Amino acid sequence: MADVTLSPGTLVTEIDSLVGSKVARVGTDGDSIDAILPTVVAEPTRASSVGQILGWASGRGVSVSVRGGGTKSGWGGPSGPIDVLLSTRAMNRVEAHRYSDLTATVQAGATLSKTNAVLAEHRQWLPLDPHNDEQATIGGIVATNDSGPRRHRHGAPRDLIIGMTLARVDGVIAKSGGIVVKNVAGYDLARLLTGSFGCLGVILSATFKLAPVAEASRTVLVELPKVDVCARYTADLIAHASTPTALEVSVPQGTMLVRFESVETVVISEATRAAALAEKAGATATVLVGDDELEAWRTHQAQVFVEGHTIVKLTVMPSELVSTLTWLEEEVRVRRLDYGLIGRVGLGVCYLRLQGAIAEQVSLILALRDRLPVGRGSAVIRQSNLELKKLIDTWGPIGDGFRIMRAVKQQFDPTGMLNPSHGPGGL
Amino acid sequence: MDQLFLLELEDIVGVDGVVRDQAELITYESDGLVSHRSRPGVAVLPETAEQVQGVVRLCHRSGVPFVARGQGTGLSAGALPHPKGVLIVMTRMNRVLDIDLANRRITVEPGVMNLDVTRRVSGDGYYYAPDPSSQSICSIGGNFAENSGGAHCLKYGFTVHHVLGAEAVLPDGEIVHLGGDALDSPGLDLLGVLVGSEGTLAVVTKVTLGLLRRPESVRTLLAAFDSTDSAGNAVSDIISAGIIPAAIEMMDRTTIRAAEAAVHPGFPDAEAVLIVELDGSETEVAALFEQIETVCSQNKGWGVQVARDEEQRGRIWMGRKAAFAAMGRITPSYYVQDGVIPRSTLPEVLRRIRELEQDSGLTIGNVFHAGDGNLHPLVCYDDGVEGQAELAERVASEILSYCLDVGGSLTGEHGIGADKACHMPKMFSENDLATMQLVRTAFDPGQLCNPDKLFPTPRLCGEVPGPYRPHPVEAAGLAERL
Repeated sequence: MADVTLSPGTLVTEIDSLVGSKVARVGTDGDSIDAILPTVVAEPTRASSVGQILGWASGRGVSVSVRGGGTKSGWGGPSGPIDVLLSTRAMNRVEAHRYSDLTATVQAGATLSKTNAVLAEHRQWLPLDPHNDEQATIGGIVATNDSGPRRHRHGAPRDLIIGMTLARVDGVIAKSGGIVVKNVAGYDLARLLTGSFGCLGVILSATFKLAPVAEASRTVLVELPKVDVCARYTADLIAHASTPTALEVSVPQGTMLVRFESVETVVISEATRAAALAEKAGATATVLVGDDELEAWRTHQAQVFVEGHTIVKLTVMPSELVSTLTWLEEEVRVRRLDYGLIGRVGLGVCYLRLQGAIAEQVSLILALRDRLPVGRGSAVIRQSNLELKKLIDTWGPIGDGFRIMRAVKQQFDPTGMLNPSHGPGGL
Repeated sequence: MDQLFLLELEDIVGVDGVVRDQAELITYESDGLVSHRSRPGVAVLPETAEQVQGVVRLCHRSGVPFVARGQGTGLSAGALPHPKGVLIVMTRMNRVLDIDLANRRITVEPGVMNLDVTRRVSGDGYYYAPDPSSQSICSIGGNFAENSGGAHCLKYGFTVHHVLGAEAVLPDGEIVHLGGDALDSPGLDLLGVLVGSEGTLAVVTKVTLGLLRRPESVRTLLAAFDSTDSAGNAVSDIISAGIIPAAIEMMDRTTIRAAEAAVHPGFPDAEAVLIVELDGSETEVAALFEQIETVCSQNKGWGVQVARDEEQRGRIWMGRKAAFAAMGRITPSYYVQDGVIPRSTLPEVLRRIRELEQDSGLTIGNVFHAGDGNLHPLVCYDDGVEGQAELAERVASEILSYCLDVGGSLTGEHGIGADKACHMPKMFSENDLATMQLVRTAFDPGQLCNPDKLFPTPRLCGEVPGPYRPHPVEAAGLAERL
């Protein structure tokens, strides 16, 4: 995108003099995204500098991609040339923890685990547990609306966010929402940017409602004799108004994890009841606590989150989850693919890991998409090698709403200079 | 209105779907905020999404503004008609289209009443969580537009947390589907923006909502306090103890007395009462309820009533929900405000409100959704006394500025509408508002969809918003406010 006569050194000098301090450097191999080497990397320490850099880049006609912890850089469509890689990592403070109000404002570059360490001082947390919370930053988690098993109780970032400060491509810094939990003044730009994959503006900080850290936790490990017992067992839990904070299935292991978090007496009684219901459904159940519990969750996540494998985010109607799993078992077998899947049973949100011949993976993902009409489910590629990315659209069909999404992108980023082709549907 | 245009409207929605008689149009002059009035050029009552599409397309082609309206219970003049425009009245689109209990979803047209959603599924043990006090007379379309909450949003969130998908007619007449039956449809979260956009981006024709399983146990407690400060401290202590109740509501002496006079809920004669409701599994509710009783007694709470059954619980809630309508018992008129503050600043803001009460000479009653800091001060006045209505309006505006001073919001649930559009620059900078306008322009470059709402305009802000007058529906005792 940039004028080819611009040398990396020139860009570095321009950015440094613009910001008034040393924030830019020439890109190195470690900065590459999809084998594309960014020309320069800028890591400003102030929100105003982000605005300056974006405004300058707009005027210059250079493209800007945004990176936090870099854990999701490969998500989204294949990257085009990157002139400036804007790192948020130097803006990494918990700006305010209003513990009496159960809210916090966090800068985009703070990691989730660091954020929660700060919030834990008052026995609170930002109740998100996506994979990789040690490295993943608030900005990246919000930009991808990423979440983990406890979404079952607490929701995804879009459910917890109450305010945002963002920088527009023209350098203007704007805010939406506020610091109060209940607030209907103005358009909810924070929700718009949540899950936008950074294609509309740069998230500078976000304000969230928090949750108290529960006093106690138990997890019931359920070993299913057959995967369809999952459906019956889940229906039993719902019928008994059970209130787990996470309700997961894992295949091909054929296990479920049901977590309860509250005060000690409550988690014991809830877990005991959930275990009894599992036994009644014909499964075996073990109530886990402490290190055993943590280990069970680590093992669960490890079924899917493996470096170098393909990961597909799969959503289905909750009632169709089990039939999808049964179908999948057969389809991966005939394609000789190695696979693993963990799923939020109550929500129909799953993560599918695939390994094997690329053509077979592509064929499986296309077959999955054929099963899922727009609005009734989706199969979005989260992580894959470049070869697969080039063979198949990352997002799958988006539906008739895409037209207006494109209009929104056009308003926020008329020249398409921000995170080019990384936004949903290639926006 | 242009005759040809009217004939075309009749072609689209049928002769009985067009209201052009001036006398009949008076019905639609205002929503629940009757101090703002404007008679629409014409009103239409479509029965299908295709008819809505036809009307919007015609408006788009002809450059005629249009405003969608549901039951008209809104309190920010968000459905105030445009005098030269079409009012699209959605009340005939009131069918429940699909109930899918296996996936805990229901799909409805926007004219379906909030409470009817719950009624349709309660026999199976499910309910729809957002419960604005007007839930028996307000429709889902309006809830969607305003991102309505209710007393139980502390734990369960607002409309935006329960809407899964929507079909909407864009201002150019195209129909789009956003979100879906399944979660996380790929694409920008335009649904999250559409909810709460006050009808300025599209006309919604179909909505899919999530349903919740009825909790195993619900317990409700009422406690009296000798000051609003101690009641406020009890609220803070409950939250600090790591408990998120389903609801925490507070009423002060003025509103307690009004409620007692009107519906006799048996509230103690106190400076403040708290209503705390817990729900969840039986063991959890029992364990946490004990903690709440302890917190209340530590903060010198007294006269504790624990609802023994549904009947007593209903009576406590009736006292709370009737508080606004009941104000008529103790004052000729009142101005209702809707502002939000960080919960922790409650004592400070209440102190300022009390000072304002003394300075202005007007009684100010207070009802709060205390758990989430949503204040509803009621400024009492006598419109028989010259200048008092205007004074009340100024006092109500002053309270809003207190909310903003402590980092709060102009509105927690009523919306901005036409009523508070001129206050927006007090909360948002020009850049903030210009960024919101980018969204508006993407959806509605011609600015025909519910114009003059939400954003301040010179035309709008030259006018002074008037004081509160009861809506006819409310005055007739058919509904209460909030």
